[in-house]
Amino acid sequence: MRMLSCEEVLANLSDYFDGECSSEFRAQLEDHISKCRRCRVVFDSTGTMLKILVDVEPFEVPLAVSARLYSRLQEVLSEE
Amino acid sequence: MTEASQEKPDAAEEDLRLIERVLGGDRQAFEALVRSHERRVFRVTLAVLGQVEDAEDAMQETFIKAYRHLKQFRRESRFTTWLTRIAVNEALQRRQSRKDHLPLDESSPAQHRDFPQRFEPWAADPENLYTKQELRELVEKAIRSLSAIYRETLILCDIEGMSAKEAAEVLGVNIAALKSRLLRARLMMRDALSASFEQPRPFGRRVVDTAAEVKNMMGMVLMRVARR
Repeated sequence: MRMLSCEEVLANLSDYFDGECSSEFRAQLEDHISKCRRCRVVFDSTGTMLKILVDVEPFEVPLAVSARLYSRLQEVLSEE
Repeated sequence: MTEASQEKPDAAEEDLRLIERVLGGDRQAFEALVRSHERRVFRVTLAVLGQVEDAEDAMQETFIKAYRHLKQFRRESRFTTWLTRIAVNEALQRRQSRKDHLPLDESSPAQHRDFPQRFEPWAADPENLYTKQELRELVEKAIRSLSAIYRETLILCDIEGMSAKEAAEVLGVNIAALKSRLLRARLMMRDALSASFEQPRPFGRRVVDTAAEVKNMMGMVLMRVARR
């Protein structure tokens, strides 16, 4: 199996997480990160970061913003 | 696109039921539709515009347009995707007319740093290090630190669950540019959050590092003194 360079791993990290790599490339990337500490750190923490992004559901609508939205919609819808 | 961010199939079906009722003249059903999508629309308009006041205006216009054009919604795509397109277009139009707040582009020097920059492993379960509220604040701060093109790409793809192809279409960029932005956005986010999530260093290691840093700094000070 050809050993990927760190640059190749980094350039294809997104495609790996998005499931867009071929199974052969996937195996090469996994082989590289099992042997390279720096790439493993970047790989693991990027995966964790993506999970956290979904879990925390950032940016709630402020209550006042939400209240003004419904009042504006009521106004507009009643005119239609 | 992450699996966890995929919309549940029953949510899409519920949208279709509500749309039928709205088209039949039931305004309450439109309110229910707004309730289930207001957060997504707010997040998308905020991602593009960066300021709550602007995002609020764009969100209001998005829902008004959605109501007025609901008959044109074709069921080949999900309602969520259709609504997100309206929100992104509305926000992009506002950004284009706001000449004093043009987003940074890829040529900006601030974005020319090489990523990644931090290589310490993260704690095994970093979500347990903070309360949910603290965690949300950390993530929001990190997202806000990104310039607009990275912020909007990250939110559309990694929070709203759009594919790179869909996000490229709604943002009006080609797919290669979108993918390049997404990779940089993810690496910048990872770096921005690393300080909060890295494993604490073992005490001994830190002492060695500190000793090395002090030695290095002393060398620099001595060189400066010698030049005088």
